[in-house]
Amino acid sequence: MYGIEAITANNGWAISAVGITIVFSGLVLLSFVIAQLHKGLDLYENPQKIKGWFSLKKKPVKESDNSLETEGILLVLTEEQKEIAKQFALLVSTLEDHFSLPRLLELARISGVKNFHSNLNILLKSDILFPDKEGFFCWDQDLYIETISH
Amino acid sequence: MDTLFLEFFQNTGFYLCDYRNIIMIVIGLVFIYLGISKDYEPLLLVPIGFGMLMGNIPIFKGLGLGIYESNSVLHYLYFGVTQGIYPPLVFLGIGAMTDFSTLLARPILMLLGAAAQTGIFITFLGALALGFLPNEAASIGIIGGADGPTAIFLTAKLAPHLIGPIAVAAYSYMALVPVIQPPIMRLLTSRKERLIRMEEPREVSKREKMIFPIVAFLLCCFLAPAALPLLGMLCFGNVLKEAVVTERLAVTARTSIIDIATILLGVTVGASTQGDVFLTSKSVGIFILGAVSFCIATACGVLFAKFMNLFLKSKINPLLGAAGVSAVPDSARVVQIVGQQEDPTNFLLMHAMAPNVSGVIGSAIAAGVLWSLMAKAM
Repeated sequence: MYGIEAITANNGWAISAVGITIVFSGLVLLSFVIAQLHKGLDLYENPQKIKGWFSLKKKPVKESDNSLETEGILLVLTEEQKEIAKQFALLVSTLEDHFSLPRLLELARISGVKNFHSNLNILLKSDILFPDKEGFFCWDQDLYIETISH
Repeated sequence: MDTLFLEFFQNTGFYLCDYRNIIMIVIGLVFIYLGISKDYEPLLLVPIGFGMLMGNIPIFKGLGLGIYESNSVLHYLYFGVTQGIYPPLVFLGIGAMTDFSTLLARPILMLLGAAAQTGIFITFLGALALGFLPNEAASIGIIGGADGPTAIFLTAKLAPHLIGPIAVAAYSYMALVPVIQPPIMRLLTSRKERLIRMEEPREVSKREKMIFPIVAFLLCCFLAPAALPLLGMLCFGNVLKEAVVTERLAVTARTSIIDIATILLGVTVGASTQGDVFLTSKSVGIFILGAVSFCIATACGVLFAKFMNLFLKSKINPLLGAAGVSAVPDSARVVQIVGQQEDPTNFLLMHAMAPNVSGVIGSAIAAGVLWSLMAKAM
């Protein structure tokens, strides 16, 4: 038996379809799990983020769309991170309203701010530092005060 | 005395020689030449090539010399092939030398490894259409995975009588990756696509690398339990590598164990290609289908990468799809070379390693799936 007839007689279409589906499902599932893996590990290494989620639920929802997201990140700042945010606030006060990030980083380095790269990243994520869409960054003083007052 | 000389002469290779032995010896010499002079997969082609010379010395049957004679030394060594012992040992070594960082940094590239496995199943259909039995067709299809140990493992389980031609075809096409893949890659991509630069992958933590082989093993083997011998050893080897505390075992796995397994696998597979057993119309069909399978697998990977680009914001270079076949690391190197022919400053190698290693996992799953489906049908 040859050709399509042989394929059909040996259940070839079904075997191929099942085979391709299983291989794809397996690798799609695995890629999904891998994609989440570092997030899970991040939570494991920074358990305060989980606490932050639960604290967030107790807070009243604000009107602004951004406030929810910002609030969630605000709550995960540790005391040490707040202290470093204060140091950054001092540095920003010496700059113009719209400043370049490399300049701020340089100042942080010179001033001996601890882990300035990662802490600057936290400020960016919490939107205290935000891009002006023209290549420079601004400092949200209200958000900053709100953050460190928590 | 004349009679003694005559009897001795009648037992020599010169007297017993068959034209098929000569053909196979020439092929063996070509393999050795390609391995040594052209540097095409020398670690595989040289043992297989020399094994072909060993297997095609015309011998007097009954002396217990040939690989198919039950009391011969070669037959005992061949036991590791027929029982599927060597391939998992090779996988252990591969696991102990593979770095999954790029895959972990960009898991979406794993889909390219899945897409390239489509070639296996399309060739399976082609082999059925040409009149091969389902278990033979499955063994032929797996050549498209471009994974020699997997092809041998599956064939040993499903169609042991075809191990010789399938192993030789699989390793031949693996060695010819730099010749077969580039024209297909260029044909299916535009210059603009070949110029796409990939984003820098994120840094992967040690803990992620440690957890990955365990998660991958559990997930894939729960889904396709028949892939256990191959994936289990691959992931175990990687655990040894990433655990650091087992560095001594990892070193043994990626040096001594894989070397011994490769030598024995190569020589015995080569020796199994005795002219009278190997040179049949079926072998010719297997070689043709193997080439088709390999080409389809490459094309599927590239086309799937283009398909993914329809939905992705950050485009991926479709050349990476060709690395979805699991010829590690040759197909990744080919991607790098073809990419650099368009733009010498574009470095695709580390990105290509992601679909490449996922191709290894994908072909092992495909083998497991085919084995379990065929075992039920047999």
